[in-house]
Amino acid sequence: MEESEKLSRLIQARALVAALEAHDEAGYLASLNALAASQTQPMFEAVGRMTREVHEALMAFATDDRLNLLAEDEMPDARDRLRYVITLTEQAANRTLTLVEEALPVADRLMDRAERLQQALGQIRQSQVDNVALVGVITELAEYLDSVQQDGGALKTRLTDIMMAQEFQDLSGQLLLRVIALLETLEGKMLGLLQKTHPVASEKPVALTQAALSQGLGPGVPGAKNHSSAAEPIKNQDDVDDLLANLGF
Amino acid sequence: MDRNMKILVVDDFSTMRRIIKNLLKELGFTNIEEADDGATALPMLKQGHFDFLVTDWNMPGMTGIDLLKAVRADPALAHLPVLMVTAEAKREQIIMAAQAGVNGYVVKPFNGPTLKEKIDKIFERVQG
Repeated sequence: MEESEKLSRLIQARALVAALEAHDEAGYLASLNALAASQTQPMFEAVGRMTREVHEALMAFATDDRLNLLAEDEMPDARDRLRYVITLTEQAANRTLTLVEEALPVADRLMDRAERLQQALGQIRQSQVDNVALVGVITELAEYLDSVQQDGGALKTRLTDIMMAQEFQDLSGQLLLRVIALLETLEGKMLGLLQKTHPVASEKPVALTQAALSQGLGPGVPGAKNHSSAAEPIKNQDDVDDLLANLGF
Repeated sequence: MDRNMKILVVDDFSTMRRIIKNLLKELGFTNIEEADDGATALPMLKQGHFDFLVTDWNMPGMTGIDLLKAVRADPALAHLPVLMVTAEAKREQIIMAAQAGVNGYVVKPFNGPTLKEKIDKIFERVQG
C-alpha cells in the first residue's frame, strides 16, 4: 500500500472511530461506506478494464474480414484438401496392394514349379548315374532350381514388407481425420463467435467482402465503419452494462 | 488350429482390412469376411458363426472396444476369441481392453510375425 493511500485510510478510520464515539450514526455509516468503497473500487476498475479489453478484442475479431474468410472459406477448403490427401494415399496404397497381391502368386508359382522340377530331376539323376554329361547338366539345373526357390522366398518376404508398409495409409489417415475434426470444431466455434459479434458480416457472401477489400472501401457492415469508435475506451458503468447486455450477460 | 475357421476383420480403413486379410491368407486362413465398424460387425457376428474376431479400436459408429463389450455381453458370442489390432496404445486403453475381455492386443504399426505369434498364442490358450 502506498503512503498516500495509507494516510487516506487512516483518516477514514479515525473519522469512523470519531463518529462512533460521538454517536453520529449517519457519519459512522458514511465512513464505513467510504472504507468499503476503497476496497471494492479497484476491483470494479479492474473488471471495467478487462471488459473493455474483451470488447475491443471482440470488435477487432468481428471486423477482421480475414477471419470471415478463414471460417467460411479457407477452413472448409483445408478440410477438403486433407480429405483429398486421404483419398490419394488410399488410392496409392490400394494400387500397391493390388500389385503385391498379383505378384505374390507369381512368386508362389515359380517356387512350386521349381520344387516339382527338382523332384523330377532327382528321379532322372538316380536312373542316369552312368551318363556323366547328363548328370552334370542335372546338377547345374538342380542348383539353379534351388536358387529359384530361395530367391522366390526372399521375393515373397519383400513383397510382404511392401504390403505392410501400406499400413501408413491407416495411421496417416487416422491422424488426418483428427485434424479434420479439429478444423470442424474450430470452424463452428469461429462462425458462432462471428455470428454473435458480427451477425451481418458472416451472412454476407465472402466474395463481396473480398471485392470491397480490394477496392479499399469498408463494406457496409456495422462495426467496420465504427472501428475507431469501437476502439474508444468505455467511459462509465452504463456503457459497461450495455456492452455486457449486448454480449448476452 | 483350424485353418478353415471363419474370421471377421473389422477396420474402418479398407487398406488395413486388406493388409490383415493378406497376412491371414499367408498364414493359411482363407475364410475371411470384413466389416468397417462395430455396428456393421455385430449383426454379422450374431448371424454368421464366426470363430475369430480381429478388430480395430478407433472407428466411427461403434468402436472396437464397444464391439468387444457387446460380444462379451452376448451369451452366444461371449467365448469368441478377439484380437485387437489398433494404433491406440495408451496404458489405460490396453488395461481397458484386457478388462473387457480381449484375448490379444497388437499395436500398429505391426508386422506379419507379430500377428502370427498373437494368433498362435490365442488359440493355444483357447484350445489348451
